[in-house]
Amino acid sequence: MLIVDLSDAELVGRIGSGSNRDAEAELYRRMAPRVRLYGLRHLRNEQAADDLAQQVLLTTLEALRADRLREPEKLASFVLGTCRMTVLNLRRGDQRKERLLAQFGADIRTSVQPAMPRLDHEKLARCLTNLKERERSVVVMTFYDEQTGADVARFLGVSQANVRVIRHRAIHQLRKCMGVAA
Amino acid sequence: MSRENDRQPPVCASPIDAAVLADYWLATLEGADEEAVEEHLLACDGCGARLREVIALADGIRNVAREGSLRMIVSDEFLKQAADEGLRVCQYAPPAGGSVECTVTADDDLLIGRLAADLSGAKRVDLCFCDEAGVEQFRLPDIPVHSGASSVVYQESITLLKAAPSTKFIARLVAFDESSRERLLGEYTFNHTRTLPG
Repeated sequence: MLIVDLSDAELVGRIGSGSNRDAEAELYRRMAPRVRLYGLRHLRNEQAADDLAQQVLLTTLEALRADRLREPEKLASFVLGTCRMTVLNLRRGDQRKERLLAQFGADIRTSVQPAMPRLDHEKLARCLTNLKERERSVVVMTFYDEQTGADVARFLGVSQANVRVIRHRAIHQLRKCMGVAA
Repeated sequence: MSRENDRQPPVCASPIDAAVLADYWLATLEGADEEAVEEHLLACDGCGARLREVIALADGIRNVAREGSLRMIVSDEFLKQAADEGLRVCQYAPPAGGSVECTVTADDDLLIGRLAADLSGAKRVDLCFCDEAGVEQFRLPDIPVHSGASSVVYQESITLLKAAPSTKFIARLVAFDESSRERLLGEYTFNHTRTLPG
């Protein structure tokens, strides 16, 4: 079986059973992009998201090498918990990063992150023009003005739930217009 | 949307709707819902790919809004955001029934018309655009307005105006009452003089 076909639990088993650099590399390849997305959502900064991915994967590898993950099939939950703790620590200005990098830095391999999809700008402008007035206003107020649902609801004179419905409809229509599935 | 240099993600058996992923990206999900989405994303590359599409869409919307080419109703927060980003906003506020001389320069980024009107009691408001003879050319139906507001702020496509010759056009705000009768709220004449060469 190819290493890329191993389940998370099997990967955890190989890493815990001794030095298995291919398994560690596969763990990093598999998890780093996911952790980076978590970082983008919570830290809103690409560099900070890269740093988070590196720190979380270092912490995870440290735990797996020491066989500290009791339920290997729950690797994703363990990584998520590590993400949360690391973000908290980052916000507290924790110095763990330096210590971990000193300990394991040489073992961390640079992973190729999935590229962000490229948008056809002109097509998106046409798709936005094709939305209904309220839908266009909601998406622009949401993504450009960065207004909250409550602010948008006040502007439109509708409920927040209604704003959410309008936003969902608009996103589905934009994705359909851009040629991707909902 | 196109993606380069990466493998196709596996198909997810229970994919998260893109609109829910947008809610996640906007941090509007409740605690338990957010937790469920994050658990899923930490184990699913298919939904991670969809989240990247949503992020790209959000960035794309921001870029289109920034270039001032959309003809649309905007909020004061939109103008504040544009000013904060250093965009140059050219704004005209003709009185109802009046006219204004206007132009755009090469340095202008956004073109805004502030149309004063009494919007109280209006169930639906349309913004119509007419040629200089007053013949309607097109309309933005059911525009978002707040019944307590005293004006409608609309963005004209600066891309179009920068390319247009000197011209006169008329904007009309019309309201519909409960019996769907159309009522004129205000008429605004824009005398656009082209000052850009070419």
